[in-house]
Amino acid sequence: MTGFLDYVPGSSVLHRLDPLTKLVLSLCVCISAFLTDNLIFLLVLVGMDLLLGVLGGVFQKALRLLSGLLKLSVFLFLLQVLFVRSGAVLFEYGILKITLDGLFVGARLVLRLTAATLPLQLLLSVTQLSDLSGVLVQRLFVPYKYAFTLTTAIRFIPVFAAEMSGIMEAQTARGVEFDTKNPVKKIGLLLPLCAPLLISSVGKIHESAAAAELRGFTLRTRASQSKRYAFIPADYAFLVFSLLLIAAGILF
Amino acid sequence: MIEIHGLSFRYAGSDRDALQNIELTVPDGDFLGIIGPSGAGKTTLIHSVCGLVPHRRGGDFYGSVTVDGMDTVDAELTDLARVVGTVLQDVDSQMVAANVDDELRFGLENFGAPKDEIEERIVEALRAAGIEDLRDRVIGSLSGGQKQRVAIAAILALRPKILLLDEPTGELDPAVSEQIFRILREMNERFGMTVIVVEQKIMLLSSYAKTLAVLNDGQLEVAGPVREVLKESRRLEEIGVNCPRVVTLSRHIEDLTSGAIAATVEEAEAMVREVLR
Ligand SMILES: Nc1ncnc2c1ncn2[C@@H]1O[C@H](COP(=O)(O)OP(=O)(O)OP(=O)(O)O)[C@@H](O)[C@H]1O
Ligand SMILES: [Mg+2]
Repeated sequence: MTGFLDYVPGSSVLHRLDPLTKLVLSLCVCISAFLTDNLIFLLVLVGMDLLLGVLGGVFQKALRLLSGLLKLSVFLFLLQVLFVRSGAVLFEYGILKITLDGLFVGARLVLRLTAATLPLQLLLSVTQLSDLSGVLVQRLFVPYKYAFTLTTAIRFIPVFAAEMSGIMEAQTARGVEFDTKNPVKKIGLLLPLCAPLLISSVGKIHESAAAAELRGFTLRTRASQSKRYAFIPADYAFLVFSLLLIAAGILF
Repeated sequence: MIEIHGLSFRYAGSDRDALQNIELTVPDGDFLGIIGPSGAGKTTLIHSVCGLVPHRRGGDFYGSVTVDGMDTVDAELTDLARVVGTVLQDVDSQMVAANVDDELRFGLENFGAPKDEIEERIVEALRAAGIEDLRDRVIGSLSGGQKQRVAIAAILALRPKILLLDEPTGELDPAVSEQIFRILREMNERFGMTVIVVEQKIMLLSSYAKTLAVLNDGQLEVAGPVREVLKESRRLEEIGVNCPRVVTLSRHIEDLTSGAIAATVEEAEAMVREVLR
């Protein structure tokens, strides 16, 4: 099974789009989600994200991310509902007060988070990291070192996750109860692991940089890239669509 | 040619030398196998040739290492890398790309290989490493052995004058290990590439390498033509390097034949037949 940020090979329209278009599209969805305050429009954006997931053949993965976000969403929603005290009161009991405003603010936050996270995952699912950095360097004139750092960071996320679960498994085998239901206790158990994880991660990145240098990394310039990118007609359609999304975000 | 004179290296913060007064000359076109127990300094020696020691490893460096006329201390890491291709021991950390094709492309693009040659060199390197079918695979989805071959292919594509490999068969089964060594032999014989390989399996080294260097505790115990080094089998065993069983066997036969050492199974067979006749 692939990780939730991994590239999924395929030949859908989304796969064939220019990486720049995909980058613009996903950023525009995010921006639009932050511009709008309209709940319906946010719902439409989430629906559109899922539809794009179907188009790119990565719907299952999008659903997995959604269910992953669910816990966090419920938590954030409750937080907002309990803390917003303005607006028409729906329910009151002692200091507990639920208002219409609170429900709206909570729903907006959760939908915004979802609408803005999905397109980033979608982008990484249908675009190879090397193409993403390639297009950043070639078209957007981002210095190669920064593009490389960005893609390496993304590439290392699953490596760290694997390392973390490796450490946790080893500790569990020695009787540490990571499966505790008590969140405070769990955080207390996890915190001490951060230092060794960070040290081994930094070490790995150093090794990686040294290895890249042995293969001429420092000589690399914008002109080094041998792959060239070109727009297909669908690219223009998607770019126009991205601009419309921004406009809609401002309007609603 | 690689010339190492009086090389000692101590990692920063360590209280003992990882390498001690190493003297070693590797002529062009040699196929050198480095062997020794864990912690002997094999990786440190490889890093001293490619320049990671001392450029990217802090510590006290004494003596000199000259690679193709360049003093490794004075030369830039990148200039050394034009001559020396290195496959590091940790495969995961040397993968720079998300898929195999880009992994091979990376070095070629960096060193400015002509654009119309890149395709041909990728295909050739993949074929040499026997992984043509992996070209479009995502690196994360490969097995340890497959990654190891990708790492080797990525270096072969660069066609370096000197090829360094740190335990390239660590995660491979015997059949694939043999295949890797056949590739190395072909590079060595056909293109005159100098090959230096760290390897734990002495059987492989003695059938493919021309010379052997045995490291122990930071010191160069023995170095020389394979046959000469194998004659020291008793000393090697004391260090913890197990000699091929054929060598041990031929040592037993030695009293009867007074002299010659068998380095391969075929030779040993002939020898045993000779003794039995
Ligand atoms: N980065 C480092 N910092 C400090 N000491 C190190 C470092 N790398 C290696 N050493 C030490 O230097 C010595 C030689 O290590 P080296 O990695 O060269 O051995 P090796 O022969 O390659 O071993 P192995 O077969 O396990 O790969 C060891 O004692 C090791 O602990
Ligand atoms: Mg080593």
